[in-house]
Amino acid sequence: MVENNEVELSEAEAEQYDRQIRLWGLESQKRLRASKVLIIGLCGLGAETAKNIILSGVKSVCLLDNEKLKEIDLYSQFLTPPDKVGENRAEASLQRARALNPMVDVTAETRAVDDLPDEYFTTFDIVCATGLKQEQLERINNVCRDSNKKFLCGDVWGMFGYMFADLVDHEYSEEIVQHKAVKRGPDDTEKNARETVSITVKRRAIYVPLQNALSADWRRPELRSRLRRGDPSYFVLKILLRFRDEYNRNPDPAKRKSDTETLLRMRDELVKELSLPAGFISDDLLTDVYGIVAGAAAVVGGVIGQEVVKAVSQREPPHNNMFFFNPVKCVGFVELYGQ
Amino acid sequence: MVARVAGVFDEKLTEAIANSKILVVGAGGIGCEILKNLVLTGFPQIEIIDLDTIDVSNLNRQFLFHKEHVGKSKAQVAKDSALSFNPNVNIIAHHDSVISNDYGVSYFKQFNIVMNALDNRVARNHVNRMCLAANVPLIETGTAGYAGQVELIKKGLTQCYECQPKAPQKTFPGCTIRNTPSEPIHCIVWAKHLFNQLFGEEDPDQDVSPDTADPEAAGEAGASALSSEGTTSGNVERKSTRQWAADTNYDAEKLFTKLFGDDIRYLLSMENLWKKRRPPTPLTWDNLPGKDDTPAQHSGLPDQRVWSVHECAQVFAASCKALQADLAGRPEGDHLVWDKDEKSAMDFVTACANIRAYIFNIPTKSRFEIKSMAGNIIPAIATANAIVAGLAVLRAQSILRGHLAAATSVYLRPKVNHRGQLFVPEKTLTPPNPKCYVCAPKPEVGLACNLKSLTLKELTTAFKDGLNMQAPDATVEGKGLVVLSSEPGETDHNNDKTLEQIGLNDGCALLVDDFLQNYEVRVRLQQEDEEKTWRLVTDADAPMPAPKEEKPANGSNGADEPKPGPSRTRADSDSDMEIIEEDEDETTVKPPKRRRTEMSDEVVELC
Repeated sequence: MVENNEVELSEAEAEQYDRQIRLWGLESQKRLRASKVLIIGLCGLGAETAKNIILSGVKSVCLLDNEKLKEIDLYSQFLTPPDKVGENRAEASLQRARALNPMVDVTAETRAVDDLPDEYFTTFDIVCATGLKQEQLERINNVCRDSNKKFLCGDVWGMFGYMFADLVDHEYSEEIVQHKAVKRGPDDTEKNARETVSITVKRRAIYVPLQNALSADWRRPELRSRLRRGDPSYFVLKILLRFRDEYNRNPDPAKRKSDTETLLRMRDELVKELSLPAGFISDDLLTDVYGIVAGAAAVVGGVIGQEVVKAVSQREPPHNNMFFFNPVKCVGFVELYGQ
Repeated sequence: MVARVAGVFDEKLTEAIANSKILVVGAGGIGCEILKNLVLTGFPQIEIIDLDTIDVSNLNRQFLFHKEHVGKSKAQVAKDSALSFNPNVNIIAHHDSVISNDYGVSYFKQFNIVMNALDNRVARNHVNRMCLAANVPLIETGTAGYAGQVELIKKGLTQCYECQPKAPQKTFPGCTIRNTPSEPIHCIVWAKHLFNQLFGEEDPDQDVSPDTADPEAAGEAGASALSSEGTTSGNVERKSTRQWAADTNYDAEKLFTKLFGDDIRYLLSMENLWKKRRPPTPLTWDNLPGKDDTPAQHSGLPDQRVWSVHECAQVFAASCKALQADLAGRPEGDHLVWDKDEKSAMDFVTACANIRAYIFNIPTKSRFEIKSMAGNIIPAIATANAIVAGLAVLRAQSILRGHLAAATSVYLRPKVNHRGQLFVPEKTLTPPNPKCYVCAPKPEVGLACNLKSLTLKELTTAFKDGLNMQAPDATVEGKGLVVLSSEPGETDHNNDKTLEQIGLNDGCALLVDDFLQNYEVRVRLQQEDEEKTWRLVTDADAPMPAPKEEKPANGSNGADEPKPGPSRTRADSDSDMEIIEEDEDETTVKPPKRRRTEMSDEVVELC
């Protein structure tokens, strides 16, 4: 997808990106610096994601947000100075975002997602969306998909978080390290002469759009069997997205008690609807879903940032297609839904 | 601040955070991220300590620092940047080594949690002991490339950082380095030794000349050639390499002729070595391969191009000249410290390693590759640091909630495991190793050595390098006789005496303690005639630390730093750690739950 532009890295780039080039190679770095990224939603998770992507050395990052900076954003959003409360969140993030890496072109877009035409989203190589409703996510996902552009989305509620990726039809290379013995002469009997050789293999991964992943049919036996070894994070996500759609907001720390009751009720409805085992979605997963906890934003933003790097550099297997962070067990895992 | 927004956390955690005091040790990749998370979450009292200054290669991940901060104190700049996120918290920054009398047990006791974000074992061991002594929970973190880990260490509850022996340092026999290199790393180690011989701290264990005591060459060997020059130590007797080089005014051609011509011919005379090996080819300065070649079209970073031997010789000459000038500009008796980020020092090692590799028919490497190997660079990236630091602060929250038993180790894997897990938590805490020589109630360890030859000075080294002590004191158990004192001068007069001479014998026990670390260990002496230096012996069968003879590469902060500490004696000078591996399959029994591997500085052992 991203053309590997043939211009060599400058000395300044080589110096600043030295350590990561040693990890993912010069080709990946060249692909990164040719890629254009759109980040939607400049809450704590958006800021974490933006930081990681800007540091990696992409060509450009556009920060899109039409909301005003609120006091509560400051508790997880480190790109916005505290004295900019009331200003547009994307614009308020610009200065610090640019300072992270002056070699990346960082801009702000203040129009609402719903006011932007489809073509807008396809001018980027990859889109990362946070804080949107399911319907908005699906629209952007489908627009990207039709133009063969990559789409990621994610959210953090309290300490819980997820990421979804639709890389459409994704080709990538994977490095496999092998050990082999080498002889340096016909009579060389020393057995310590071993070399590690890494070979690169080409692979391909096929993705599905978000609506497929979120409408997985739990009556099917292969999904039922997942319940047994199961982690309920997928359902926690469904409940939280429904809450956002229904109430047009996230669970509110100031209404912790009543919102928790609402969430537990929605949980019970979902359990009934999908015939899930009783007690499968425990209460404690739905009680720490208020605000955005900085540690969780760092964790999920780190995962999204790394997936963007993998996607645009077309190196190493990307996650297909959902990642969940379950804070109760402190486990992070990947599962494929909707295929 | 989140902690102060009612409803984000339950009341208990909100209050625990409001009353907490946290120490962050290290302001590098993970330290910056931890500090950001703590400040945003609203931890009101934070101290951060780091002796390092900011380098341009930090900027791809240590996001609290920008280009204009290069050269400044990491701790101070990290504090200033973090305060701009939340001016309502109190941060104290220390531009200092954590290994210092200023940070004793009582200092550590004032914190609810200590969070380690270090890059080297020496400082990790030290903070481990301080937290054990102060009985403060320690959250130990680290990353290497895409991987990472977070681990709680709590006295009596979990294993400590030193409960499991670490993978031993990778070592190369001295004769492989000096006589029969077969891999690029052998040539790189040799080149670093040569740097020290010519410009750095001279170390007799880093001789670069042919080793006539090579057991393989014994018998008729090169004996006929130059046996009269051989000494019992195997080194060819002559004035020091440094002196000789200085006498030639560091003449590149003369140095080259000796190192890559004469010495190689000498090696060829040790015929036994080449019966089954391809013999090396001596080089002559005037006739080097690649002299008339026009450089091939190269794509990639300039440093990724492999130089011809002729180019290596040119770089060798230029870097010798630059290093000579650098050395001459210093006070009498001072020396250079090899640093991968010093251009001439890195050029010199690249050129010498490649010339030697060519001579021995070993593939030559680019400056870029040699820098990784010579500098033990473990690549570090922003995302892995962010994830590990996020997990660390979430773990800190559950510890403040009082859920210590649930704060098990978590591993960030480079790729998902067979269950699809990317962050893999342990099921339970790993209990302390009852035989740990650090955290057991009565720590004990054996020291195997030859009492007839081990000197008191070497014993001090064993306690410092083997037992990671900073200033050991030792008395004979039951007699109270002071063998070693950390007071300057008190026992120095005995430095060159052997243990036997001061009356120590097989089976006798020493009580060794380090006042700063509040750590005492009983050391049983075991006579072993064959042991040339010393070796720690525990009941576990795993290998224990042995003498370090290759000094680790120092980082960019050279000899002008006032105190020893994290960045000084580090094996890897810029990664945010060592690591890792964890259980692949929960059903398999795994007594040592954790296996740490570490990029180690190479060590040369004597043949």
